[in-house]
Amino acid sequence: MSDVTLASPQVETFLNPESHVNGHHNPAALISMRQIWKTYEMGAEKVHALHGVSFDVHKGEYIAIIGPSGSGKSTLMNLIGCLDTASQGQYWLNGKNVSEMDDDELARIRNQEVGFVFQTFNLLARATALHNVELPLIYGGVGSAQRHEMAKQALSAVDLTDRVMHRPNELSGGQRQRVAIARALVNHPSILLADEPTGALDTHTSMEIMDLFGRLHDEGNTIIVVTHEHDIAARAHRILSIRDGLIEKDEKIK
Amino acid sequence: MNLRKKSYTPIYLAGAALRGRPFSRRGGGHGVPPPKNPRRLNLPERVRRQPVFRFAAIWEAFLVATSSLRANKLRTALTLVGIVVGVSAVIAVVTIIKGLDKTVATTFSSQGSTVFTVSKNPQIIKSREEFIKFNKRKDVTPDDEDAIARLCTTCWRVGIAANAVQTVKYADQTSENVRIRGVTPTTMFDVDGVTIDAGRIWTEGEGGSGRDVCVVGPDVLKNLFAGASADRAVGQEIRVAGRLYQIIGVLEPLGSIFGFSRDNVVYIPYVSYQKAFGARNSVVIFIQVQTAEQLEAAEDQVRTIMRNRRGRTFGDQDDEGFALETQDVFLDLYGKATSNIYLVTIGVAAVSLVVGGIVVMNIMLVSVTERTKEIGIRKAVGARQKDILTQFLIEAVTVTAIGGAFGVFTGFGLAYLISALIGFPLLINVASAVLGVGVSSVVGIISGLWPAWRAARLDPIEALRAE
Repeated sequence: MSDVTLASPQVETFLNPESHVNGHHNPAALISMRQIWKTYEMGAEKVHALHGVSFDVHKGEYIAIIGPSGSGKSTLMNLIGCLDTASQGQYWLNGKNVSEMDDDELARIRNQEVGFVFQTFNLLARATALHNVELPLIYGGVGSAQRHEMAKQALSAVDLTDRVMHRPNELSGGQRQRVAIARALVNHPSILLADEPTGALDTHTSMEIMDLFGRLHDEGNTIIVVTHEHDIAARAHRILSIRDGLIEKDEKIK
Repeated sequence: MNLRKKSYTPIYLAGAALRGRPFSRRGGGHGVPPPKNPRRLNLPERVRRQPVFRFAAIWEAFLVATSSLRANKLRTALTLVGIVVGVSAVIAVVTIIKGLDKTVATTFSSQGSTVFTVSKNPQIIKSREEFIKFNKRKDVTPDDEDAIARLCTTCWRVGIAANAVQTVKYADQTSENVRIRGVTPTTMFDVDGVTIDAGRIWTEGEGGSGRDVCVVGPDVLKNLFAGASADRAVGQEIRVAGRLYQIIGVLEPLGSIFGFSRDNVVYIPYVSYQKAFGARNSVVIFIQVQTAEQLEAAEDQVRTIMRNRRGRTFGDQDDEGFALETQDVFLDLYGKATSNIYLVTIGVAAVSLVVGGIVVMNIMLVSVTERTKEIGIRKAVGARQKDILTQFLIEAVTVTAIGGAFGVFTGFGLAYLISALIGFPLLINVASAVLGVGVSSVVGIISGLWPAWRAARLDPIEALRAE
């Protein structure tokens, strides 16, 4: 099986780091970042969170982004998820140049191309699990009957069929995170972005959630997980190590 | 783990992976059936449209608005107070004044704009100086009426009326503060706009000879005969100022104005009135013309006649020596009074709506701050700035529209209470209800705009970080 993996162009790109810095994006890649800078101005001082990061992500990859706190990994995550825009550099997502998009277009990308899973779940407290999962579809303009159907299917895919009408405060941490995962998946995003998805969960529940991510990856989803836990990162197939706003190491582990 | 290793062929599966069918190629390529996974995500085709106008998002905004208003009931109620006060003040005053307008219009149309009067004192005396001046005037007498009736060619009906307020008795029943109206000739009933319900009016012969007969208003019947039928009262004798008067007729009711009944009246012939109250009183001459267009000409003629009789020449503006008035003086006074009331009310309403608007704005800002996290979540899953803006605008408008609706109801309630107390018709004006809710909705939009804009402009990352 390993020779199939080696034959993939993704690995060629991986083996040829020059392609990262030549400024041209890789049209075959799902995500193609070139010389991405993120600069914050704190008074007169400029703080660089990212110093020209370049990398590609291909469809179906399972990537972990690791690094110490303050390394810029969360910034990178927000940029990938279009919650934030780069100060400089080019970002292509699914062949579209995100760096040139306005607010509405970025909202559309977040709605349809990206599914977010957060450490603190970020569910609407007053809404039921079903309504939380429906939320992206509401902003996607999906009619209510189809919306219910899709949201219920997404919830049953994460084993929450019997918790559809529960509110977050009636659910355990693991169940909440599964609602969040269902919400992230319901509109079939191109990438599933998870920011410390197990950070607020106990070890057992963490393993369950990571098993779920594994399964989702098996089903063909592209997954990027930001974590500082090595056993979580070890489940991925490729690890990007970030330090001081740069990719220190980009290794394929499986 | 073994399974995952086998499955990792991302590039070749890229197209299929997006559609959630990663196994097809793998299965086909190696002749191995794809592993069955009963929990596979099997969703309908994903939806890739984002129309400009999204009913789902607007309906969501409305649901969110109402649920957040329900979640903060006390706050919502306090927020509404300003709007409710403003709108109910306007609704109540508009409704009351509309009712009064109706009353006034029907009241004065019974005499109409074809009637004017000549009297010693005008009906409205504005100062002490005027009072002294008017008291020096000669009394208006039946001789003046006689002269007008003879000389005024455009005048149609000319008559005399003198009023006194007396206690009226029948058997052991008494009724106080009854208006005794001595009139002649009998066309004065037409000038006054009253009609006979039962019995008859006196003949000119009876009137001229000073017979003690009377025609009573329905209130007299009610107060002295315990509501007996009009026919039974006819022929009975009532006592006024020590004299007995035989009832020969009962009038149709006219209703009341500003809480004062116009039916508490006893008409007697003027000659009879003079016998009871003396001949030395000033009278009021009533003149009616046939059409409103003739009114001015008749007024000019009557003014000339009266000036001659008072020995004044045309152009002497010091004092004419008499008062010539139409019912317009009442209408003018009424119009001035109501327009002042309108102005004050609009002022009160404007102030309370502005204050209410500021309160709504403040509460909306609090709401935006409290729900920063929610805004972040919504933005993260694809809400655009205009979606968030719409959501908070809808929330603000919902609050103020509810306040406006409450205001409309309390306003009508207030008007109902007052109309029941004073006694005028209650005219529920749909337009003013729509206006009340409409204006408060506009207040909602204006005061919600800034908080909603702030919410829409929130940075999603900052918003998500909020607690």
